Amino acid sequence: MVRLMRCVTNRFRGENELPFFFGTPAILWQIIFFIVPLLAILFFSVSVFNSQGSLIGFSFASFKYFFSMPYVWVILRSLWLAFFNVSVCFLVAYPVAYYLVFRAGSFKPLLFFLLVLPFWTNFLLHIFAWFFVLEKEGFLNLFLQSVGLISKPLHLLNSSFAVYLMMVYYYLPFMILPLYAALDRFDGDLIEASYDLGATWWQTIWKILIPSTAGGIVTGFFMVFVPSFGEFVIPELLGGDKIMYVGNVVSYLVLGENTGALGGAFTVLSCLVLGLSAFVCYLGIVRLIKMLK
Amino acid sequence: MVDTLLRVRSHMVKNLGRFFVVGVYAFLYMPIIILIIFSFNKAPFPSRWTGFTWQWYHELARTTHLWEAVMNSMFIAVCATVLSLIFSVFFIFFLAQSRRFERVATFFYVNTVVPEIVFAVGLLGLFSFLGVPLGRVTLVVAHTILGMGYAIPNLFARLSELDNRLTEASYDLGASAIETFRFVTFPLLRSSVIATGLFVFMISFDDFVLAYFCSGSTTQTLPLYLLSLMRAEVSPTVNALSAVLLMFSGSLVMVFYSYNSRAKLF
Repeated sequence: MVRLMRCVTNRFRGENELPFFFGTPAILWQIIFFIVPLLAILFFSVSVFNSQGSLIGFSFASFKYFFSMPYVWVILRSLWLAFFNVSVCFLVAYPVAYYLVFRAGSFKPLLFFLLVLPFWTNFLLHIFAWFFVLEKEGFLNLFLQSVGLISKPLHLLNSSFAVYLMMVYYYLPFMILPLYAALDRFDGDLIEASYDLGATWWQTIWKILIPSTAGGIVTGFFMVFVPSFGEFVIPELLGGDKIMYVGNVVSYLVLGENTGALGGAFTVLSCLVLGLSAFVCYLGIVRLIKMLK
Repeated sequence: MVDTLLRVRSHMVKNLGRFFVVGVYAFLYMPIIILIIFSFNKAPFPSRWTGFTWQWYHELARTTHLWEAVMNSMFIAVCATVLSLIFSVFFIFFLAQSRRFERVATFFYVNTVVPEIVFAVGLLGLFSFLGVPLGRVTLVVAHTILGMGYAIPNLFARLSELDNRLTEASYDLGASAIETFRFVTFPLLRSSVIATGLFVFMISFDDFVLAYFCSGSTTQTLPLYLLSLMRAEVSPTVNALSAVLLMFSGSLVMVFYSYNSRAKLF
């Protein structure tokens, strides 16, 4: 402790004084507007207010409220959505990333540009595009009718189908880019070496390619899994308010009247579930990749 | 005969990857292309193609609510970008002084990992508890956090790639810490700072979740305006707006890569 004090005072007196102060705005901002709000959720989730709005005590009552079937289903449904989304995105993204890195040739910059563009475009724009395509009198229905595949327009919007489709659509680039970055660092000659040594393409993929790009796989997993779990715009706009996911419940409770404490508790609860499941999945992926080697 | 069949089959297998990738890109871009094409459609509803018109773009230009929302978004994005860049560059200066400080940088990595909705809920709770009126200022505060979450890891990665000998030479020649940063380190980082600034600008400009929770009822940003349009009716003006926004992002991406050809988002 004394040493720490001396260290601090030396820094104030000594030459290092200035750099230390330059670091503080960012750190202070981060603590006040990021760490404190996160702690505030914890605080509000256990605090009880009286009708005048002043704090009267603490209780876990609002947590108990959520141990009922509808809310458990909401969490399970979100988990399933996130799992489904991650798996589909991975299965589609890996071949695409592989193609971009090793086969695309002169198309590589263009294809890469098209892959990055969604990151820079408005999220709602993508949703609106699908609105336009999937609507009852939208493009897809008109197209299928004019081709003659269907006679009556399909109800594509406001269904789980639309939600899942949009989730895969929106999060696919988030999976492709980390895999692209990982494969870009990977030495393509190793694939040839593996073939030369008599491995089949199946063995090459599982024993060489996947283990070498483990970092990208893990990054992609987190980039898709975490936001998918908390997604609330897609289900709200394309799911038609019928199917509730974690994000919908949170926004409904938090923005609703007098349900702020419940909202906080539900946020804490779903964060716990999210953290735990992401951690388990992470361990699973690492174990699986180790087994492959 | 068998020979030709085999050749056709091997041709198919070889092109399988290409078909797949073309399919995926079609999936990614078909809706957007259709959207843009129909922004020139005369009929007001997504029905059949009836003819070419600029009408919806003219209508868009006349909408005053839209321009208010654009001005709000611009104001917020510029403020958040400037603030987070100043904080990040100062912080990078601090990090550059000693390797011992490097661990502090990990403090900012969580900003992008925590789901945005959780952060938004916490911030809303804090602001309403303190009685801060929601509006443009609260959004600037929130977006600055997001911006630092991108800027600090990115600039830090750039900083650790720099050649240590350059700063050492500067110190040996008698420059102070500030002079070294001002005349050696910062010029080397300048293009990354500009590129990061562009990215942070776009993050803030496009942000929906934080705006949805922390903007209050009076301030409307562009994404919120887009949402209200989508909820109200499907009108080709939204298509026109989407096309304009897409052009805007496309040009920003190009500027971004011209400043930062080896940009790493991950």
